[in-house]
Amino acid sequence: MVPPLIGISKSIKRISELIEHVADTGLNVLISGESGVGKEVVAQNLYHKSIRKNKPFIKVNCAALPDGLLESELFGFERGAFTGAERKKRGKFELAHQGVLFLDEIGDMSLSLQSKLLHVLQSGEFAPLGSEKDVKADAWVIAATNQKLEKKVAKGLFREDLYYRLNIIKIYIPPLHKRPEDIPLLIDHFITKYTPRFDKRKLLKPSRDDMEKLISYSWPGNVRELQNVLKSCMVMGNWKEVIDDLSMKNRSSLFSMSDEPSMDGASIVDDLLDFKDDYSSDNASFSLKKIKRKALDRIEKEVISFVLEKTGWNRSKACAILKISYKTLLYKISDLDIKPPAKPG
Amino acid sequence: MVNPYRLLIIDDNKEILTAITDFLSKKKYDVVSASDGLDGLKLLETEQQGFDLVVTDLVMPNISGVGLISIIKKKFPDLPVIAITGWGEHPEALATEAKANRVLEKPFDLSELDTVIRELLSP
Repeated sequence: MVPPLIGISKSIKRISELIEHVADTGLNVLISGESGVGKEVVAQNLYHKSIRKNKPFIKVNCAALPDGLLESELFGFERGAFTGAERKKRGKFELAHQGVLFLDEIGDMSLSLQSKLLHVLQSGEFAPLGSEKDVKADAWVIAATNQKLEKKVAKGLFREDLYYRLNIIKIYIPPLHKRPEDIPLLIDHFITKYTPRFDKRKLLKPSRDDMEKLISYSWPGNVRELQNVLKSCMVMGNWKEVIDDLSMKNRSSLFSMSDEPSMDGASIVDDLLDFKDDYSSDNASFSLKKIKRKALDRIEKEVISFVLEKTGWNRSKACAILKISYKTLLYKISDLDIKPPAKPG
Repeated sequence: MVNPYRLLIIDDNKEILTAITDFLSKKKYDVVSASDGLDGLKLLETEQQGFDLVVTDLVMPNISGVGLISIIKKKFPDLPVIAITGWGEHPEALATEAKANRVLEKPFDLSELDTVIRELLSP
């Protein structure tokens, strides 16, 4: 059965529309988005809407295997191609013939394998290890990644030519917290889906209060996390315990807005006091007032940078969000030494 | 004199889209614009009157210019397409492979675009 693409958000509707329009083109697709947003669901939908739906759908996780193994997994090998190759093995490209080859975690593929993949995509042919004959490849390649491939390209870790060749159709699935309107629908869907599995134990729909909590939770693990939470609720037979747990997590995540490990616990004090390495540092410069200033500056810098980043450095938008004047914002940017992100290229 | 040709212009950069659309409208073309590949494709599929020529950017969200050109060449093989590409992007080879009739590199003169359009539309 095709896993349905659930949601009423603009982005999910747009993705459904896109799938309808491109499923029959056979053009390479790159699906991106955080872990757990449903990249494979989108791939499955593309496959089921295409003329290839009765042919194989072969999935390869490019992060799960070491380089050499991944290569033989993809392209196969002839008998005697290497020690231990006692019989011929068909690769996933061949198994996916006339069907779909879903390359998950493509961002983890090594550069040398990337060039081999590029060659297949360019020429439509590949050679199994130890074979002298090229085999025709007719697999629809749908790749997925939770990484920012543009960044990997800029760093030289992902081939630019392969990036463009995969990116003929690009589908970006936003994280769940960016489309909270989809959460009630997903909950309904999973309740209906799991009820028969849990001894028909009925889980009532969450109360309005609980639903609000579920909607406002940040869902760092996205739809997969929601799915797991619902399974727990099914086992417990109620929402209370699981939701209390989520509320706790939400609260703690508010305190760790930045990724810097120094923002938590005791280390922040060390950091602010500059006591990191030298505990005998000058006591004369120590004052609570100074430290307060420093801590405030740091938080201000963090928040302003965050808002600027979210608005794409649109200063008018940023000062509207921060509710400070344009002039103040400009002053803060220079005073706190906030730098715009380096432009690629 | 009224220019009878109908053009579809697709670019996700608003400023460039407006500049090209305004310029070609002044040249009396009948111009329709779209801001990404999917919207462009939808217009191609639904507009009754059809189009005489398409100008498309290459790097865009959802359906890239390269994807759109491939689809156009399959569904509307006689429709000429001009691909425009940003500085420092390298999908030109793909655009040619997808059989774009011309590839123009940004920045280009709008008059140059007009010349290419005339060439492709001349019987």
